[in-house]
Amino acid sequence: MAHELLNGLSSAEAGQILALGTRMTVPSGGSLFRLGDAADRLFLIERGRIRLTFPMLVRGREEEVLMEEKLPGETVGWSALVPPYRFTLSATAPLETEVIALPREKLCAYCESSPAVGFRIGMNLAILVGQRLQLVQAMWMREIERTVELKSAAVGEAR
Amino acid sequence: MYMLLMGLCISFFCLAVTVAAFAAATRPESPAPTAQPELPAVKAAPARFFSDRATPHIPVQPQVPIEVLLLQIENHVRLEQAAAESFVAFPTQALLHGKTTSPFVN
Repeated sequence: MAHELLNGLSSAEAGQILALGTRMTVPSGGSLFRLGDAADRLFLIERGRIRLTFPMLVRGREEEVLMEEKLPGETVGWSALVPPYRFTLSATAPLETEVIALPREKLCAYCESSPAVGFRIGMNLAILVGQRLQLVQAMWMREIERTVELKSAAVGEAR
Repeated sequence: MYMLLMGLCISFFCLAVTVAAFAAATRPESPAPTAQPELPAVKAAPARFFSDRATPHIPVQPQVPIEVLLLQIENHVRLEQAAAESFVAFPTQALLHGKTTSPFVN
């Protein structure tokens, strides 16, 4: 399994990183982490699927609404590497899912001892964060545009 | 003597007619200001572009079960994400503004 966080590393280096982690199985419907939890591990998906959700008020009830869905090879929980180290989304498994949990302390210690690997992982992380930012930025702009369109139409009708 | 008096009278009459004609010609068109009935004060229309009173026109739909609504929201998010991914992969204004088939935007 090729992991996006480990792109550009040799198989030996990738193996050493993966050996820092713990393999976990999340049962179908199980929770990997919840919004607000302390983030001290990030997760590489080996098998299955992870839903990242956000709480949203729908008809007065708080409901978990899908934000993103992650597949094998992808990374979730990079809040573990970004202060204040708290998860900002919730993660659940819609089907039995296997992940490798990488503790922040071990990963950072390894990267410090091997700067070339640390640089590569840092760059891969920057790509993940940048892609999320660009995606959310585009979605946000589309929503603003739609809101202004609706408001303008409503004002036009009211006249 | 009679002729002189007659000439004076005719001159005086002509002068009077000329003055009257001049006054009529130079009178302002609009009538003199008179007391007019007080009109009700017209209030300035409030700015309503971002006002709360201008509610967006969203077609009224029958109340769907919350599970269906959540599925619709999820479908909307997936479509919007796919549209945003297309934009990020190849940023153009057309891709940024392109509409999806989501019922929330149509």
